[in-house]
Amino acid sequence: MTDQELIEGILHRDRNAFQCLVNQYQKQVIKAAYHFVGNLEDAEDLSQEIFLDVIRSLPSFNKSSSLSTWIYRITVNKSLNMVKKKQRRGIMVRIESLFRPPVEHGSTHTTEPSVLPADLEHQEKQSLLHAAINRLPENQRIAFVLCKFEDHTYKQIAEIMKIGLPAVESLIHRAKVNLQQHLVHHFSEYQKT
Amino acid sequence: MDCSQLKSNIFAYSEGALSEEQCQSFESHLSSCIVCKQLMTELNHIEAIIEMEKSVEPSPFAATRILQRLENEFEATKKSYFPGLVRVLQPVAIAGALLCGILIGSYTAKKDNTQANQVVNPYENIEFLRTNLFISDFADEDTMLGLNK
Ligand SMILES: [Zn+2]
Repeated sequence: MTDQELIEGILHRDRNAFQCLVNQYQKQVIKAAYHFVGNLEDAEDLSQEIFLDVIRSLPSFNKSSSLSTWIYRITVNKSLNMVKKKQRRGIMVRIESLFRPPVEHGSTHTTEPSVLPADLEHQEKQSLLHAAINRLPENQRIAFVLCKFEDHTYKQIAEIMKIGLPAVESLIHRAKVNLQQHLVHHFSEYQKT
Repeated sequence: MDCSQLKSNIFAYSEGALSEEQCQSFESHLSSCIVCKQLMTELNHIEAIIEMEKSVEPSPFAATRILQRLENEFEATKKSYFPGLVRVLQPVAIAGALLCGILIGSYTAKKDNTQANQVVNPYENIEFLRTNLFISDFADEDTMLGLNK
């Protein structure tokens, strides 16, 4: 099914078109969402919202870009919103924990699942990486994730972000410098302890 | 090159932006400094994590879940294809089938019962025929069967 046929089908609420859209784009959507939110389960839940948005806003799709690029834009926006929500929730949890009475450690410790040190190290680094990415300014973050995780060319990133090529280059360069500085700082501090 | 110079040059080194001379200086410090070597190992691990995340595969049920969600939200043509509708109709169909089963079951049970009664009481049947059909010539058979003893 071509993009045009797909769009026509969805506008006519044709079931085959729905199925085609999902089959064709689910991997792209889930993987991109995962690279922004850093958790596959969240990314899969979010993908449902993304497809709902795609179908709802399809009548306003003006075809100035490809369907794939347009779906990427929706995916990026939705994913960044989820990260913001999670960060806000994280702040709330931290504030709430300040007012909670201290937990007795002896009782809770035994029920925790045993995690291999290597896994723990991997998980720690994974969350460190995503925390560092989430500290980047939004535009740098989008450009970096699309380039590094999604293997997009600068031209594709420029289309998705609706900016020029030099701007993409500059964003990615600054993102890499910032990330590396953050990580080097973190590991140097870690080495001191 | 010392430790702090190496740190500030890591990015340029990884991008291949150092001059040959700087590159040699970077590598010679790296080979002699455990702290910087450890730092580079950590950074390489981060690169490996990015590569691993790139190869992530969605769950095989993800597509079905998305499609189901879309069905719930939008009315589509060719509704009969939709498992959403099947989900609603399924309990009704099962209830219907159960009811049919019960009815057929009780009917055949009744039939079996009457058949069993007929087999058990042959004499009652002969009496019935005799009185209702006004047949009196059963006498011989009666004596044969020992009814008139
Ligand atoms: Zn050093």
